[in-house]
Amino acid sequence: MTKESNIAKESSETTKKCCSEDSRRRFIVVSTITVSAACGLFPLASGITTILDPVKKSTGDQEKVPWTKVAPLGNLPEDGKPAKFEVILEQVKDAWTTYKNVPVGAVYLTRDGDVVTAFNLKCPHLGCAVDYRSKSNDYFCPCHNSTFGLDGSVTDVDSPSPRGLDTMDTKVEAGVVWIRFQQFRPNISDKVPLS
Amino acid sequence: MNRFLDWLDDRSGIRGIVKEALYEKVPGGARWRYVWGSCLTFAFFTQVVTGTLLWMSYSPSAQTAWESVYFIQYEVWGGWFLRGVHHYMAQAMIVLLVLHLMQVMIDGAYKAPRELNFWFGIALLGVTLALSLTGYLLPWDQKGFWATAVATNLIAEVPLIGPILQKIVVGGVEYGHQTITRFFALHAGILPAALIGLVVAHIYLFRKHGIHVKEPRPKKDSYFWPDQILKDGVACLAVMLAVIILTLYFKGAPLGPPADPSNEFPARPEWYFLFLFQLLKYVPAFWGAVIIPLVLGLLILIQPFLGASRKGHQFNIGFWWCLLAGAAGLTFLAFSEDRANTNHGAAVKEAEWQASRVVQIAQEDGIPPAGAVTLLRNDHENRGRRIFAAHCASCHRYNGHDGRGYSVEEDPSAPELAGFASQDWLTKLLNYDHYTSIEYFGGTAFKDGTMAKKVLKKYNKEEQKLLPQVAILLSDQAELPYQESLTDEKRESLMDIFYDDLACIDCHDIDSEGEGSAPDLTGYGSKKWMTDFIINPEHERFYGKKNDRMPAYGRDNKLSPEEIEIVVDWIRLRPAVK
Repeated sequence: MTKESNIAKESSETTKKCCSEDSRRRFIVVSTITVSAACGLFPLASGITTILDPVKKSTGDQEKVPWTKVAPLGNLPEDGKPAKFEVILEQVKDAWTTYKNVPVGAVYLTRDGDVVTAFNLKCPHLGCAVDYRSKSNDYFCPCHNSTFGLDGSVTDVDSPSPRGLDTMDTKVEAGVVWIRFQQFRPNISDKVPLS
Repeated sequence: MNRFLDWLDDRSGIRGIVKEALYEKVPGGARWRYVWGSCLTFAFFTQVVTGTLLWMSYSPSAQTAWESVYFIQYEVWGGWFLRGVHHYMAQAMIVLLVLHLMQVMIDGAYKAPRELNFWFGIALLGVTLALSLTGYLLPWDQKGFWATAVATNLIAEVPLIGPILQKIVVGGVEYGHQTITRFFALHAGILPAALIGLVVAHIYLFRKHGIHVKEPRPKKDSYFWPDQILKDGVACLAVMLAVIILTLYFKGAPLGPPADPSNEFPARPEWYFLFLFQLLKYVPAFWGAVIIPLVLGLLILIQPFLGASRKGHQFNIGFWWCLLAGAAGLTFLAFSEDRANTNHGAAVKEAEWQASRVVQIAQEDGIPPAGAVTLLRNDHENRGRRIFAAHCASCHRYNGHDGRGYSVEEDPSAPELAGFASQDWLTKLLNYDHYTSIEYFGGTAFKDGTMAKKVLKKYNKEEQKLLPQVAILLSDQAELPYQESLTDEKRESLMDIFYDDLACIDCHDIDSEGEGSAPDLTGYGSKKWMTDFIINPEHERFYGKKNDRMPAYGRDNKLSPEEIEIVVDWIRLRPAVK
């Protein structure tokens, strides 16, 4: 006798015996599936939050972006030409390690009297480093040929960049330029900070 | 749905496989005693999943292992729970292994034709223990570091190839990056792969021979699905609940202070290895690590053959009960010896203090790239108590202990320094009975000196009432961080007592130019006064030639200026424990 027919025989016998036997069996099957599912899901459930941790921690809180000293105002050309500066953050936390004085990127600073504009060096298209061309007095991305004017706006309609260069908050205190250095989501028309 | 299953079945034969798996015959009906194998499979499955999740945040190197585990434990969302489940499920696995083994032995399921499967089972036991051992090191905390150092030293006991084998496992002579990377590869790669292979073989052979049932059969035969699976599932659920309760109760797995070869630690293995640890107190390492395991191992391997006869089977069962009882006895001895040893208790407390301290610093200041161990090494609070223990505690005490909580066997021979120069401390000092007690100068020549015999002892009742006022005046000069300073008026009035009523000024200077015959009390107990005193107590300002055994730590270069500053700050930081 095969197993199946054996089971079939057994179950038909039990049906004959009593209907409660049938519901008892259904109860066993349902409990077994429930208990097995609980056991099967438990390991993943016990730690799934750890994978989602980075999503939970993204705050998007602009107030938390620290002000960072970049350069003395005197180091910026007075004629409004851009100058490139390295941005060194006092403290950067990478998961479990806290680094001090870490270069995290670069900015172009331009000056109009005491007002300073800061552009992130990264092209808003796909993140290549943008060059300032003194000859044509504009910014140029060497990867996909986007061009930007001194005010950061896209100058050439054929530029693949969906938006102008990304500006950041600046302030001048006691002759020193401070910025809130940030990165932004590439290749969308809105300027959305990464956090 | 059915059409999809038909399609899938045509191409894979999935229905047959599932039926084969589920409709395994259970002779004599489903029973609770058969659940252990499934529980072990469940436990191992949990370890694979939770281990992989931990892997996503773990970084195996000497500067990042502890740090990334700290990150998981204290910063990652739900990380402490995940670690707890992995930690306690590992322990549950050991318990389940023993239960499974004993069930197999008692039911005689290890005998022919199941010899091979018994050996696979024993191999699985070994691999599981190896997984525990290698996993214990991975957090790279003091506990794992020192305990695993003992384990790898035992490897060297293997004849001929021992030292070479040890070097291969450790990845060199000293513990470091290579030790962690190797242990991690073993723990997360080689050993789980071996375990999976063995489990597959184990289950295949189990299915081939079927469940071994003791005659007469208790009930009529049934099938694995659903009766036995329900029992297995309920047992797994119980294991799961136990692990969850342990995790919640202990708030996840423990994490000791970061591994530091220069910071001694009372090495103890995980509880299920304690019997081996205890055994090594009685027998030479070579016996404990090689001979005894070898003899027992060989005996275990031939048990299926011994079990062929009734007597042999009884011997086998008796053997395992004895082994378990012996291990339990040794474990009990290990625990009770530790409990009776106050210094071990102090060492455990000290490690707990370091662990909470380093977490506190890491949360406030972050962990530098050089690793968390530098946080403790540079921490003045930690260094202060260690300097005190190493250089001061052979004569002085701090709250009755050595500064770190260890008791000192000898009586103190110099004053207790917790709360030094505080009002309470000085009030007691200026009482003749306390002054000459072992808590102050009872262990020094000063107990028979002028201050004791000719001054404190001679004061009348009226004068004695003024002494606490002097204590307040002197204590004010210490500028202790936990005491408020006096107003100028109050200070003036107290100074009158010092000068006129008790005439302390006859011997002790305070805010004056002259040179008294007793220690200068100007700025008494302040940072500067203490520093100068520790640099050279034989200076004329202090004891001069009357100094009794107090070393000139600064003058004789016994402590660096930085170390003196640290220990002075540490002593002055907080009041004595009442």
